[in-house]
Amino acid sequence: MLTTLSQPSGTHFHWLFDGGIVGFYLLVTMAAGIAMRRYVGKLEDYLVAGREMNLHLGIASLAATEFGIITCMYTAQAGYTQGFSGAIPGICQAVAMALIGWTGFCIKPLRQAGAMTLPEMFETRFGRKVRWLSGMVIVMGGLLNMGVFLQIGGKFLCTVAGFDLSNLTLIMTALLLMVVIYTVLGGMLSVLVTDFLQFVVMSAGLLVVSVLILKNIGWDTLVETVRKHHGEGGFSPLANPSLGWAFLANQFIANAAAALTWQAVIVRILSAKDSDTSQRIYTRTSFFFVCRFLLPGIWGIAALATLGWAPLKQLTQEERLAIPVMVQEKIAASPVGAPMIQLTAEETSALALETQAKLSDASLLAMPEFLSSFLPIGLMGLLIAAMLAADMSTNSSYMLSWGSVIYNDILAPFRRTAWSDQRAILWNRCIVALIGLYLLIFGLFYHIEGNVWSYLLLTGSIYLSSMSVLLIACCYWKRANNWGAIGAILLGAAVPVAHLTLEKLPATAAFAASVGKDLAGIAAFVGAALGMVVGSLVKPHPKSS
Amino acid sequence: MITFWLVLTLAALFWYGSVTLYVSVKGAADIREMLARLRNRDRKG
Repeated sequence: MLTTLSQPSGTHFHWLFDGGIVGFYLLVTMAAGIAMRRYVGKLEDYLVAGREMNLHLGIASLAATEFGIITCMYTAQAGYTQGFSGAIPGICQAVAMALIGWTGFCIKPLRQAGAMTLPEMFETRFGRKVRWLSGMVIVMGGLLNMGVFLQIGGKFLCTVAGFDLSNLTLIMTALLLMVVIYTVLGGMLSVLVTDFLQFVVMSAGLLVVSVLILKNIGWDTLVETVRKHHGEGGFSPLANPSLGWAFLANQFIANAAAALTWQAVIVRILSAKDSDTSQRIYTRTSFFFVCRFLLPGIWGIAALATLGWAPLKQLTQEERLAIPVMVQEKIAASPVGAPMIQLTAEETSALALETQAKLSDASLLAMPEFLSSFLPIGLMGLLIAAMLAADMSTNSSYMLSWGSVIYNDILAPFRRTAWSDQRAILWNRCIVALIGLYLLIFGLFYHIEGNVWSYLLLTGSIYLSSMSVLLIACCYWKRANNWGAIGAILLGAAVPVAHLTLEKLPATAAFAASVGKDLAGIAAFVGAALGMVVGSLVKPHPKSS
Repeated sequence: MITFWLVLTLAALFWYGSVTLYVSVKGAADIREMLARLRNRDRKG
C-alpha cells in the first residue's frame, strides 16, 4: 500500500525523496523571488533591474531564460527524429551569438541608446507610429510563441512523474501561479535572482542526466541507433533530404535575428551596466547554445535506442482496435517522428481526433517516457527540480519581456502625461498577471500540430525578419525612414502568412511543400530587406531649408 | 562526422560543467553587489 502511495506506476518518482527535493527547491526560489520586492523603487528597477546587472549574473540569466522545458522537449524531439543533425540549429545560434558579441553588431548602439525596449529605440529614427506598430508585431509574435510553453511543460512533468494527463490543468495552474507571484512582485530583479538559482539547479540536472546516459547506454549504442534509424542524414544535415543547405542558411539567419531582436534575450543587453558587459555576456554565453541543443538531443537519441519508434503504444487498447489493421501496419512502418505520413487523406480523417493528437505527440513524449523509467529515485527529484527551474526562469522572463513592450510601446500613445513610478509599476504588474492568465487559457485550449520547433520558428519569423531589418537599418543606414520601416514590417509578415495560407489550401499545398519552410523563412528576410530599401528610397526627400 | 559529434559532446559537457561552477560562485557575488548598489542609491535618494 505504501509503495503505491509513494510511487506512481511506471515511473521511479518517489513522493518522499524526489518530492522533498522538488519542494525544497520551490521553497528557496519563491522566498528569494518574493524578497526582491523591497528593492523595486523605480520603473527602471522593475523592467531592467536598474541597469545594474553584471557579467556573470547576465550569463546565468540568459542561459536560464533560453532553456525551458519547451526547449528540452523540442531539442530532444529533434534528436529523436533527426539524430545528431537535429543539433545543427544550436551550432548556428552559437556562431551567431559569438559573432554579434565579438563585433558588437547592433547590440552596442542598442545598449548605448539607453532604451528599455526595441520599439523605443525605433522611435528615434522612424517616429511614433512605427514604434507602436513594431510593438504590436513583437507582442503578437512573442505571445503566440510563448502560448504553448505551459502546456508542453505540464505534459513533461506529468509524463516523467507518472501522473495521468488528466492532471495537466492542475499542474499547469500551479506552475503558473508560482511564477506569476514573484514576477509580478519583483519584476526583473526577481527574474535575475531566481534565474541565478534556477541556472545552478538546471545545469546540475542537465549534466548529471547526460553523463548517466553516456555511462549506462554508451556512445556506441547512440551512434548505432542514429545510423539504423536515420542513416548518414542523422550525422550530416547535408545528407538528410529534409534538411540541406536551405535549412542551414535559414537556421543561421533566423538565429542571428533572434539574438538581435528577441525581447527576452536583448533585455539582458538593456539591463547590463554598460555596452562592454552586454557584448561579453553574448560571447561567453554563445557555446551554451550548442549544449542547449546537443545534450537534450542525446537524451532523445537515448530514448530512440531504448524505446524504439512505436507510435501505436501511445494509444489505449480501445483506440488501437478502432483502427483498421492495414492502417495500423502503415503507422508502425512510418519513419521516426511522422506516424501518419504514409496514410491517405481518407485514412487520416477516419482516425479520431484524440488518436491523431496522441500519434502526433509520440516523438515529443518519447524522451520524458524514457527518463521516467531510466533515472533512479533521488535523481528523478533532481531532474524534476531542474526542469521546473528551467521552465520557471523562461516563463518569468518571457512574461516580463512581452509585458514591458505592451506597457512601454503599445500603451505609450494613451499616456498623455508622465506617470509616476508607482503608477507605472502597478500597470506593469497588472499586465504581467494578465499575460499569465492568457498563458493558462491558451495552454488549455490550443494543440500544436507537427514539430514544435517548426511552430516556434514560424511564430517567431512573423517578427524576426522585419524587426532585425529595422534594427540594422536604424543603427547603420542613414537613408532609412518610416516608409521603409512600414514596408519592411508588412513584407516581413506577409511572406510567412502567405506560405502558411498556401500550405492550408488543397490546391496550393503541393506548391507550398515544394518551396518548403526554410526557403519561405529566407524569403521573409529578403522581403523585409526589400521593403526597407524600396520604401526608404521612394519617400520624397524633405527640401533642405 | 561521428568524431566531430563525439568531440562536440565531450566539449559541451566539459565547458558546461566548468561554466556552471564558475558562474555559481561569481554570480552570487554579482547579486550581492547589485543589491548593495540599489540599497545605496535608495539611501541617497
